[in-house]
Amino acid sequence: MVGKDCVAIACDLRLGLQALTVSNNFPKIFQYGDHVFLGLTGLATDVSTVSDLFRYKVNMYRLREERHIAPRTFANLVSSSLYERRFGPYFVSPVVAGLEPKTGKPFICGFDSIGCIDFAKDFIVSGTATEQLFGMCESLWEPDLGPDALFETISQALLNAVDRDALSGWGAHVYIIEKNKVTKRLLKGRQD
Amino acid sequence: MDTLVARYSRPTYQQNEAFSEQEQQDLADAVPSFSLKFAMPPVAHPSAWLRAATDDRSNPSCPIKIAHGTTTLAFRFQHGIIVATDSRATAGNWIASQTVKKVIEINSDLLGTMAGGAADCQYWLAWLGMQCRLHELRHKRRISVAAASKILANLVYQYKGMGLSMGTMCAGVTKEEGPALYYIDSDGTRLAGNLFCVGSGQTFAYGVLDAEYRYDLTTEEALELGSRSILAATHRDAYSGGFINLYHVKESGWEKHGFTDTNPVFWKTKLEKGEFSNVTSDLAE
Amino acid sequence: MADRYSFSLTTFSPSGKLVQIEYALNAVNQGVTALGIKATNGIVLATEKKSSSPLADPSSLSKISLITPNIGMVYSGMGPDYRVLVDRARKVSHTGYKRIYNEYPPTRILVQDVARVMQEATQSGGVRPYGVSLLVAGWDEGVLPEEEVLKQEKAAQEGAGGESGEGEQKKLGGKTGGILKGGPMLYQVDPSGSYFPWKATAIGKSATTAKTFLEKRYTEGLELEDAVHIALLTLKETIEGEMNGETIEIGIVGPPAHHLLGVEGVEGAVGPRFRKLSPQEIEDYLTNL
Repeated sequence: MVGKDCVAIACDLRLGLQALTVSNNFPKIFQYGDHVFLGLTGLATDVSTVSDLFRYKVNMYRLREERHIAPRTFANLVSSSLYERRFGPYFVSPVVAGLEPKTGKPFICGFDSIGCIDFAKDFIVSGTATEQLFGMCESLWEPDLGPDALFETISQALLNAVDRDALSGWGAHVYIIEKNKVTKRLLKGRQD
Repeated sequence: MDTLVARYSRPTYQQNEAFSEQEQQDLADAVPSFSLKFAMPPVAHPSAWLRAATDDRSNPSCPIKIAHGTTTLAFRFQHGIIVATDSRATAGNWIASQTVKKVIEINSDLLGTMAGGAADCQYWLAWLGMQCRLHELRHKRRISVAAASKILANLVYQYKGMGLSMGTMCAGVTKEEGPALYYIDSDGTRLAGNLFCVGSGQTFAYGVLDAEYRYDLTTEEALELGSRSILAATHRDAYSGGFINLYHVKESGWEKHGFTDTNPVFWKTKLEKGEFSNVTSDLAE
Repeated sequence: MADRYSFSLTTFSPSGKLVQIEYALNAVNQGVTALGIKATNGIVLATEKKSSSPLADPSSLSKISLITPNIGMVYSGMGPDYRVLVDRARKVSHTGYKRIYNEYPPTRILVQDVARVMQEATQSGGVRPYGVSLLVAGWDEGVLPEEEVLKQEKAAQEGAGGESGEGEQKKLGGKTGGILKGGPMLYQVDPSGSYFPWKATAIGKSATTAKTFLEKRYTEGLELEDAVHIALLTLKETIEGEMNGETIEIGIVGPPAHHLLGVEGVEGAVGPRFRKLSPQEIEDYLTNL
């Protein structure tokens, strides 16, 4: 979710096998630089595999180029990596959020499982509660939210969306990304 | 001899009753020839068609999504029966409601629980209520739980294979039977027993219930156990949640013990009793 | 079966030298001189276009090539080897970068990729090293915010001021190149696969003479126009034939050349920074020499 000179990204913590909740502490957000974050929803084994794959690719990038990867560059890396598996895709739908290093402007985008990028200037949602999240974000989000208001907005949007989805919830993580600081918070959601 | 005759002859008060033929016909029709009462899909094999269209277990993209997913339990103990349910209704992964009443008050003495198709359960348990009332009027005494449950079992058996989906428990306490508990499902199964859990969260509820259950539980212990079992199920089962609906059935009738949101109960259980240690309440780095 | 007998032709001599690479360098040192000068706001690449016969059509000959919109290359040594490397460089800049990150590689990354190609030819079976040295000139966009670049340069200047006499301090506000800050970068790549960044350098037959000349003429804080001027003067020192727009080739990395885009009105479109000067433009520079 985009704010004024800041972005937020949040995820729930459930890991489930259909109806069975296997774990209540399975974060789906991964950090790849000071201001580059990736959210992964979908098949849990692919969430782990894909997050590790990008850890490797980003580390290689950093060693080769002696610089941190920019969110837009990372988004294109995600896209091309996913399309490499066009005929046997990873079952994930990623979300990238970050701040452009050169301008400090927020950057967010989402992908389908084979790498089509969806650039947005407001918010990106993904996962089993997609419809609910769209509803919440469409009604709560407004332009130029400050970091605190953005935290409130993204938290309410996520919590209320997952409360209407049987397969999501069980707590949440929220990251507020600002130029000089990244704040990570745990939300205690309903545990049913 | 007289006692034998008395036992098998009609009681005197019934001799005065004069039922016209029409009235008798109506009563007999109370269990109607159902295929005439419900509109059936105009296809060659209605039951097969219905199964294909509504069974989201075998076909997740079935066109008609029927509300499913539940945890219900009931168990007998020395002071009666505890009935407890969650309150979530789901259609697919969509949580349609968090405030469903899954305990159906058939009458002031009998409770039914609701798992499976919400409409099926609601309709037929209300219908069962009517049958029980008619039984009472006809026989001038309360129906036994055994009889009530059998009326329902026979009914669903008639519709076997046509897509009815219900897993229900009938609980009641009568002088003759004591605390009586029956399980009836849409396959036509009818079982008497001490303890049942029904629904998608049944295994989780059984886990807690079996570990702590004794027949000589006090009323407080029994209520707490029923509540705790449902809480465990709502935690682990995605399709159970919402509120805990708790009832105690006694010979004098049933007594309601609240419709409590699981969320505060959960955190209280975790923080005060140290249970649910799998749930993190701090940001561990 | 074939590869069983395809031993590497470049094998160590007992003294530890790879003589094939030295031979390749000899080929380079017989080549036509090429030079490159880095300015604060761009780079110039220049070379002589020598045709073997007065009958050849000079306009068809091209020794300076565009690799990506912001990177160009010139060589000294064997022309056919160079064209292979240009093809490989253009290809690898896409397969190894543009198609992955949807942006063109920074100069150093491209140089590393080309250097790898050249190194592989010194260690693979059945091949010989490339008989060329390259000068690669490019402009990097950089990732640091403008104020951060200024801050770093100020700090660097203060640091250098402490150990005075270095004469190495950067000019304030001028981008000095590199992946982080952005700006112009000039590299030389040799047949061995080694590469070096330069402020100004020359390769080929008269490289030593040219470099001595450049050392005298080069100053910090050079502008692109001055650099072109110095390039022509240096070339004049070493050139064998006549000097005119037809016999000289110049490529520059400068401000975005929007007139080369081909279309107008596309929002956010930026023209290529690398372009070759036309014979007419070269003539203009020569008359002002």
